[in-house]
Amino acid sequence: MRELNAIRISDGHYQVDMRGWVCPYPKYAVEGLVRKFDKGRLDLLVDCPSATEDVPKVAKAMGCAVPEVNQIGGGEWQIVIVKQ
Amino acid sequence: MTTQSNSVAATSRWGTISNNLTDVFYISVWRKAWPLWVGAVALAITNLFMFAFARAVGVFPQMGMWGAQVYNLAGVKVDAPFTAYPLTPLHLDMHSMINFGIILGVGMAALLAEEFKIRKEHWSGYAAAAAGGVLMGLGTVIMPPCNVGGFYTATMALSLSGPLAAIGLVPGAYVGGLLMKWQAKQAVAALDFNALPVGAPVTKRPSSAQPYVGATIGVALVVIAAVYAAQGMVKQCGLLLFGAIFGIIFQRSRLCFTSAFREILISRNGTLMKWVLFSIAIGTVGFALLKATGYQPMHYVLPVGLHTVVGGFIFGIGMSLAGGCGIGILWRSAEGYTRAWVAVVTGMMTAGAWVLIYGKHVGEGWLYGKPHSLAQYGGWFGGSAIVFAFLAAFYLFILYVESGKRERA
Repeated sequence: MRELNAIRISDGHYQVDMRGWVCPYPKYAVEGLVRKFDKGRLDLLVDCPSATEDVPKVAKAMGCAVPEVNQIGGGEWQIVIVKQ
Repeated sequence: MTTQSNSVAATSRWGTISNNLTDVFYISVWRKAWPLWVGAVALAITNLFMFAFARAVGVFPQMGMWGAQVYNLAGVKVDAPFTAYPLTPLHLDMHSMINFGIILGVGMAALLAEEFKIRKEHWSGYAAAAAGGVLMGLGTVIMPPCNVGGFYTATMALSLSGPLAAIGLVPGAYVGGLLMKWQAKQAVAALDFNALPVGAPVTKRPSSAQPYVGATIGVALVVIAAVYAAQGMVKQCGLLLFGAIFGIIFQRSRLCFTSAFREILISRNGTLMKWVLFSIAIGTVGFALLKATGYQPMHYVLPVGLHTVVGGFIFGIGMSLAGGCGIGILWRSAEGYTRAWVAVVTGMMTAGAWVLIYGKHVGEGWLYGKPHSLAQYGGWFGGSAIVFAFLAAFYLFILYVESGKRERA
């Protein structure tokens, strides 16, 4: 089975690497991810352009803030999700 | 135009003009995503112009021809699946020019926006893409043809098959989408935030040379088109450029038909499909007007029967698994998705083998019904009215599905 690459950057700050997961996987995964961590900051790395719109929409609908969507390279983005 | 992306204060009048031009013609067009409605309108208008020029948009029948070409090169004699798309050297085939144009147009747009990347996949992704390609290859010859040709163009061309294809495509895309949602759920379930290794965050890489490569592709595209024009191959030249325009529209507006079909039932969100319906509405008026003058009245009026729905269902599952419909996988291929490369190959090889499998061409024999134009009912006006009634019914269906979201949550 396919696994998610994830690391802890500091307490309450995680990074989940979904580069290589095509659209719509990041959009489908973000709902579960947001539910799963208590609070803090989650950096989701994606490499499909449409996820930069879909993922913030889902996260915001779940009450999270999405302060930043940063392009980190050619065809790669970091989506910052903050759960209070 | 108040938004200035350049923070450098313009000192002179020419500086202001230059900043303005950059904002409009580079930032807004090539760097920022287009609103969906712009994509929807541009798509309908481009399709109309291309129909008036030669033919409307659709990409899979020519890909089936490519597959048949490969079999013939390998020594297996087989005819192309669609009689209207006979075996032709690819560089002379006007239909294939649309596909090449889409690939070049998307490649150019993706590079200009720095969205290109060779995206490698997990083996399960390649397996899904291979299966998706096979299902799309089968769907395209059974329906026929592909999602954009068989639903989008066919509906605006007043073919009864268009609406019927949607009846198969919606549940098909749903089944494929469920599988993807399940996979995502499994992966999230296996993740434990309390047991993660400690690591360093990613750092932003400096901007790349992608925009220059993109601009080079744009120049190459114009040169290739000019060569065709100089050779007197006006159709090939024109369809290559039209294909590129389609590619640019799809890449910039992200108007993905697979997502449009899939998300209606998966996320109870029909936003994309509503814009597709709007696009069809614009196109229908133009197609009816052109056809009413006697211009290609049976263009994209396709065989219709139970096979339309079944083929749509098969195609729908396939496009979800592959991550794009016929145009979608060409588009993603040009953005560097290796998953889409696999789907293109299995899709064209499956469609290309149809005459071997079935023994006849698409549209012939027991499987297929006859082409049925809605213009039979009250002429082009009556036919259009039926299409608009269908669009309204589809729209109401989407509203009905969307309104159920609150109850479930």
